[in-house]
This record gives sequence, C-alpha cells and structure tokens, in this order.
Amino acid sequence: MSLLAVSNLTKNYRRTGKPVAAVDDVSFTIEPGETLALAGPSGSGKSTIARLVLRLIEPDAGRIEFEGSDFLALRGVALRARRARLQMVFQDPLAAFNPRATVARVLDDPLRVHGIAPRTERPRRIAALLERVGLAVDLAPRAIHEISGGQRQRVAIARAIATKPSLIVLDEAVSALDVSVRGQILDLLLDLQRRERIAFLFISHDLGVVRAVAHRVILLDAGRIAESGDARTVIDLPQSAVGKALVAAAPRLNRYRP
Amino acid sequence: MSRLRRFLHTPEAVAGAILLAVLFAMALSASLLFPGDPQAIAGPALLPPFQDWSLPLGTDRLGRDVLAELFHGARTSLAVGLAAAAAALVIGAVVGTLAGFAGGLVDEVLMRIADAFQTVPGFLLALAFVSVVGPSLGVVVAAIALGTWTGPARIARAEVLSIRERDYVAGARVIGMHPLEIAFREVLPNALPPVLAMSSVIVAAAILTEAALSFLGLGDPNRVTWGGMIAEGRTVLRTAPFLSIVPGIALVLTVLGVYLAGEGIVETTAVRRGLS
Repeated sequence: MSLLAVSNLTKNYRRTGKPVAAVDDVSFTIEPGETLALAGPSGSGKSTIARLVLRLIEPDAGRIEFEGSDFLALRGVALRARRARLQMVFQDPLAAFNPRATVARVLDDPLRVHGIAPRTERPRRIAALLERVGLAVDLAPRAIHEISGGQRQRVAIARAIATKPSLIVLDEAVSALDVSVRGQILDLLLDLQRRERIAFLFISHDLGVVRAVAHRVILLDAGRIAESGDARTVIDLPQSAVGKALVAAAPRLNRYRP
Repeated sequence: MSRLRRFLHTPEAVAGAILLAVLFAMALSASLLFPGDPQAIAGPALLPPFQDWSLPLGTDRLGRDVLAELFHGARTSLAVGLAAAAAALVIGAVVGTLAGFAGGLVDEVLMRIADAFQTVPGFLLALAFVSVVGPSLGVVVAAIALGTWTGPARIARAEVLSIRERDYVAGARVIGMHPLEIAFREVLPNALPPVLAMSSVIVAAAILTEAALSFLGLGDPNRVTWGGMIAEGRTVLRTAPFLSIVPGIALVLTVLGVYLAGEGIVETTAVRRGLS
C-alpha cells in the first residue's frame, strides 16, 4: 500500500474570468521512506501540488489517500490530528516562522498542539530535537531572526520531525541556502530518511539536487505531468520537451553525492 | 535603550511626556493633596483666583475649591480616556482579526456591523447610549468605545488580510494549530503595531468626548469632570470667566500632551522599523 496516493488532482485558478488549470489531472504515489521529486519550470504547478497535498488549499477534483484513508474527507479536529503525520519545510526559513518567535517556541508548538509531551517534559524534547538536527541546545532561547539561514532551516526540519511524520513536503527547501549549507542540509535530510523511514515529496527546480537525492522524479509542465520515472534515468536522458529544456538550462549539473 | 534615547531627542515627544507626567501626578496625588470630597463647599462663592492662598484658583458658584476639582477631574479624564481607548482598541483588534482571518460570511457580517456603527456619528451614539442606560463612569466608557472601535477594527483587518497569506501562517496550519489560536497568537500580535499607532488619537478623542458628555450633563454625577466644570462656569461666564477657562486650559494641555507623546512614540518605532 502506498503511503500517499494522489489521483486525478485538479486545481483551477480563475484569472480575469477564464479558469486557468494550475494542476491538471495529476496522479502519483509515494512509498514509505521514498523520495519523490517534483520538478518543472516556474508556474508548472509544483508548489500548488504541495499545498494541495497539505490541504492548505482545496482541490477542484481528484483524490488524496494518505496512510490508507481519504485525506480530503477529514475535517476539523480529525484533520488537525492527522496533520502530525504530514509535515512541511518551506523555501524561505525566515518567512516560515512568526517573526516574534524564539527557537524554543517554534519547537514547542507542535509538541503542545498534538499533546506529544507534558509541559514539564517539553524543554527536554526541544533539546533532543535541536541535537537531532545538529544544532546547539543553547540556541533554544534565541529569537528566530537572530540565527543564520542554515540554522533556521535546521530548526524548520526539527519542527517538521517533532510530530514523527511519515511524509515531509520539502517545498524548495534548500533553494534559498548557499551551496555549502545546502549540502549539509541535504545530508541531514537523507540521514533522517534512512533512520526513520520518512518519505519526502521534494519540490525543486534544481535538477542537480533532484538527481542526487530523489528516487523518482515527476517533471511538470503547465500543470500536467510531462514525464516521470527513475530520477537518474529521466535526468540523464529526458524524453519530453520540457525535460530536455530543463536539463539544457542547467549549465553544469551540481552532482551532489551524499 | 536606543529607542528611549531617540524618544528623548524629539522635543515634541519630551514636551508631551512632561505634560502627561504632570497630569498623571495630578491624578495620583489628588486624594493626598485634597483629601475629602472635592465637591464640598470650601469657602465663599465665586472667589477669584490668586486672592486667597488656601484656595489658589478660587472657588466656583457654590464655593467649591477649583484647584481640588481640577486635580480630581484629571482622574476622571485620564481614567475615562484610557479605559475607553483600551476598550476600543481591544474590541477593534479582536473584531478586525476575526473578520480578516475568517473571511467569507464572518467577514461580511462583522464588517457590515462596523459599517452600521460608522454611519452614526460617534458622539451622537455616545449621547444616545448614555441617555438610555444612565450616566455612570462605566457607561460613559462603553459609550465612547462604542463609537471608536471601528477605526482600529478596519486597520487590524487590513493588516490581517496581508499577514494571513504569509508562510508562517501556513506553517501553523501544517502544525495542526487551531484556527483561533493561529488568529490570536500568530496573526494578531503581528497586526498590532499600526493599530496601536492610532491609540494617541483615540485617547485624545475619548477625553474630549467625555468632556463634551459631561458638559451636556451626561457625565457621572458623583465625580468631578472638567467638562462638568466648564458647564458649571458657563452660567457665570461674564462675571467669572476663570471657572470655564481653567478646566478648558487643562483639557487643551492634556489632549496636546497625549498627541505629542503618541506622535513621538510612533516616530521612534517608525524609525526603528525603517532601519530593520
């Protein structure tokens, strides 16, 4: 049984009266512990799919099955409880946190909301999470805007794993980081995946990174799946026009190997 | 500390702060310096100021000590002004946040209610409310807040509309946070600065409205108010103009102080935001 099964997902945006399909009849599955990459040019619907899968926006048509049940049927309390299993890391780690928050508060929220640990135990849990993502424990009382971009993205990953999810959506999670930090963050993600069998829906426009970390890849073009398959096969020998264009547009593939 | 220093380097802010400090000192020391009932008769009627140094600002038509009344009136003005402004800001921020964050029908309903309140002049609303419910300090505060909460509500809503599209709000939803917690813990605190920037204007307007209500005899009858003092002096305006002029000057200085200090605070925080 697949961890996530998306079928015939469709989302239209109405722009000046005429509906534009942002996501058009997209189907895919993700297995436990697998990394599926969504790649494509700007406006191809990558981020819209991410937001649909997370129920941040509602689809016009299609089904989303997550851990064997209809994810779109969930409402209110049931939906909020299920969100523990499906987390997200955003592109801009500064925008992803309340500007008034401290590191400790950011990590305390999921533990408190889902009742994972009683109040007295949470500081210990927060310390363990910080350690797990390779951050110093004394970072906890610092304000989010005081720490570096790489540290912030580690905090975002710590928040995402706080609820022990089975799937994390990474929406351009390493695109805003500089190259040296990017490698470290990718290492951290792959390590998490190996040890805790977390699946990733990895959204990126960087085919070099996709080739290095993804098992399978879906290339999107104007809301439709243009091409899909094994990540290395597709990127080394793209068949579709958009695939060829994307590979040609990347002048030197940054062949990152963990 | 640098904010405080910048505040102290703005001359109008310092002037406003001094005026407010004097006003607060008057309000706080009123019962120490003038114990007993300020509405009790203290001497001969209509004693002009600076004649008898036990009654420095003279007495009114009934022989009450004007200085004592002025000090006790500062209490009422400050209490009503601050309480009404606080109530208006709290109601406005909560309504605006709910409307902006929930959107749809909730937004429509709340904003149409705000429209309804805005179509009636605030002072008329306060007047009607006090005449129906009866004059007491709490009612006057409620009446003033009733006419002023719509401004903060609109500003809060506009701010929330932009904040709710930010990533960190989506992040809070992904975490599974309850929508009300997102609205009041994640969104509202970040929507507050522009709402709070209005507070000096609202406090000043509330003080004036209170004075106007008292002038019309709709203030709390058990308390001395500057508006009431002006109304008292009105009947003897030709023979003893000081009875209206003294509380009038106090009112002007208070409103001026609130404006200047508020302006100074907005200025310093604006500079801080511009730098960051």
